[in-house]
Amino acid sequence: MNAERSDQGSLFGDYQRHPTAWDELFDAAGEPHPHCNLLVDCLNQLRLGEFQKRRTSADLVFVNQGVTFSVYADRRGVEKIFPFDLIPRPVAAAEWVQLEAGLLQRIHALNLFLYDVYHEQRILKEGIIPAELVLGSKGFRKEMIDFEPPGGQYIHVVGTDLVRDAGGIFRVLEDNARTPSGVSYVLENRVVMKKVFPQLFQYCRVRRVEDYPRRLREALDSVAPAGAGVAPCTVLLSPGPYNSAYFEHSFLARHMGIELVLGPDLFVHEDRVYLKTTRGPQRVDVIYRRLDDDFLDPHVFRPDSLLGVPGLFHAYRAGNVTLANAVGTGVADDKAIYPFVEDMIRFYRSEEPILNNVPTHIGARPEDCAYVLDNLDKLVVKAVNESGGYGMLMGHTASAKERLEFRDKIKANPRNYIAQPVVTLSTCPTWTDDGPAPRHVDLRPYIVSGKTSWVLPGGLTRTALVPGSLVVNSSQGGGSKDTWVMENGK
Amino acid sequence: MISRVAEHCFWMSRYLERAENTARILDVNQTLLLDFQVPLEQQWRPLLIICGVNDMPGKPEAEAVQHFMTWEPANLSSIVASVAGARENARIIREVISAEMWERLNYYHLWMQGLQARALYESSRSEFYNQIKRINQLLHGIAGGTMAHGEAWEFYQLGRYLERASQTARILDVKYHILLPTPDQVGTPVDQAHWVAILTSCSGYEPFHKKMRSPADMGVAVADFLILEPQFPRSVCHCLNECRSAASAIAGQNGSEVEVQFADLANWLTKSDITEIIRNGLHESLTTVVNRIHEIGELIHRTYFDVSMQSPPLKRAVGQSQSQS
Repeated sequence: MNAERSDQGSLFGDYQRHPTAWDELFDAAGEPHPHCNLLVDCLNQLRLGEFQKRRTSADLVFVNQGVTFSVYADRRGVEKIFPFDLIPRPVAAAEWVQLEAGLLQRIHALNLFLYDVYHEQRILKEGIIPAELVLGSKGFRKEMIDFEPPGGQYIHVVGTDLVRDAGGIFRVLEDNARTPSGVSYVLENRVVMKKVFPQLFQYCRVRRVEDYPRRLREALDSVAPAGAGVAPCTVLLSPGPYNSAYFEHSFLARHMGIELVLGPDLFVHEDRVYLKTTRGPQRVDVIYRRLDDDFLDPHVFRPDSLLGVPGLFHAYRAGNVTLANAVGTGVADDKAIYPFVEDMIRFYRSEEPILNNVPTHIGARPEDCAYVLDNLDKLVVKAVNESGGYGMLMGHTASAKERLEFRDKIKANPRNYIAQPVVTLSTCPTWTDDGPAPRHVDLRPYIVSGKTSWVLPGGLTRTALVPGSLVVNSSQGGGSKDTWVMENGK
Repeated sequence: MISRVAEHCFWMSRYLERAENTARILDVNQTLLLDFQVPLEQQWRPLLIICGVNDMPGKPEAEAVQHFMTWEPANLSSIVASVAGARENARIIREVISAEMWERLNYYHLWMQGLQARALYESSRSEFYNQIKRINQLLHGIAGGTMAHGEAWEFYQLGRYLERASQTARILDVKYHILLPTPDQVGTPVDQAHWVAILTSCSGYEPFHKKMRSPADMGVAVADFLILEPQFPRSVCHCLNECRSAASAIAGQNGSEVEVQFADLANWLTKSDITEIIRNGLHESLTTVVNRIHEIGELIHRTYFDVSMQSPPLKRAVGQSQSQS
């Protein structure tokens, strides 16, 4: 904290917004956006010293409750706190209505796409998406062809990464349709915010996020296989305590009131899945699995998997158990397929997309590939099928050597890469040692789908903690904020 | 409850209890040897035998055995391995046990891995063993005061008393191994001192004297107390009764074979009095108790942990056995 500054200063008194990025709280003239007026007023009434005090007490809550994640690169498996910033990221009510409609439209189209590629493949036959991109995708599972998932639902939970560009427009950066994580932080962040700023919640009417576990449970129960009865047995299948998201698995299981199980807790007998309990085998109807397809069943997928359940896929195909998300959803969030999602919306719904993608160059297209190779210094290049910010080149900040290395990689396997112009992510005031300063943020809303779909009002706002950095992933040192969807636009 | 969770509860508490009892056995042996001349070969090897350890490298000399039984991680009966085993089981079921319990157990695991524990071991052996006993006592206290007393708790109790029943039998058996009293030595002051040491190692010195006033034969009275006294929390019969009530709580109304087996074993002991047990051979009786407890342990595993379809043809879908030793 800057020594010259008094603890009595107002929070945003010296705030300098980012020169070009959209600011989530202040407009270009430095005035709060209309929906942020009340929030900025309230926060400004807190002196800097008081804010610091509340910050310390919030950190303590996280440490004591062990709200942590572990990082794979850290060999000792040390658990870290996900850094949390106390200044919320608001979204105006009217804007949220639009986002919600856009997200529902998108998830519906993705679900139709999955049904199509595993059945008639109309979208390939009509040449909307190159067949080889779909059929050659790592996420495409031929084992799923002609299979009817219970309730017709493939993507029960999706986390869609949104960014807001310099013009203030929300764009989709990627869809996470396999086993998206992070929602436990949304819920924990809210608990801490309510403890630290109870009055703020009274003044600014913020939409509740606490319904998530109940909604998810209802959605999962609603797609139980026929014959499961009125109270289906739903479990959460986790890879175990060594997984980086184990905290979240345990958190969700507790809040949903379902058992957290590991692969060896389940077994398959005559195509039915059972849980080993002290009272004997118990039939399992729905598995919310937080395990990748590859590890689900050593009989069908990776034979060396000790995390999965032998025979599970066969039981699934026999219609005796629901897996959420369904097997084979990876083809829908493949970065090589992403550029075609807008076309999917037009194709399946005969509508224009409400939410747009970030413009994307596709390595598989020769003319795009040539452009990418010539403009590496202006682009963000991403390896498809990688997550968490691994296998990525930020062209404008990378060294010449790094760019050369990526050039070779792209040439060797162009299909494996896509490239996008650098989007100047919006910024939000974030606490630093020198008081609030602009840091880039993204937004990951969660959509839960059973027989119907529901969008969690809010989502995970991830924030870069390094000045100017556009990388917000928790595994790469980002932090998070509470996201406030305001009930009214005041 | 999920079998795996029950199994981790059961083993967490068994390992904790085992660490305490290994410390007790090492302590009593060391105390006994302070006062008496015992042939070298009979000093420490018997202790390895009763702990079921038959792969210790080198000669079974005092320092080597204590080191192997305290610090050798590859020796599953060692104190360091028992604490680590308890901690590993606890780590997997953190959401079942209380946060306080996890924090303390983790703390002592790290303490055992660090320099402080080594320093205490080097400077004061008996204080070190006392500290190990206190770890288990403290954790049991925390567990009793913070963990929900549901099914997980019953498995925790089951593991704890099952381990203790077998360990008390073993501690008593040290007596048999350490010095085969010739008939003319029975009842002499030398023999009396041995029995006092064994009582002390089981924290039974004072309760014993309150219960059994000036017994005619000290050895018979101590054996009686440690095997049959229903009120003493470390006696074999008390532990078996605790096991039975935990098994009964787990089984519910229908009852279970595990419960029946515990009752049978307790009845087998109590139907005869201590003179009869000694006439049949104290060592032989204690061996029977230890073996029966081991069998019941396997029955618990089959009944609650290794669940599969009972109906033939039985196809073992999940082959991974979780048995621990």
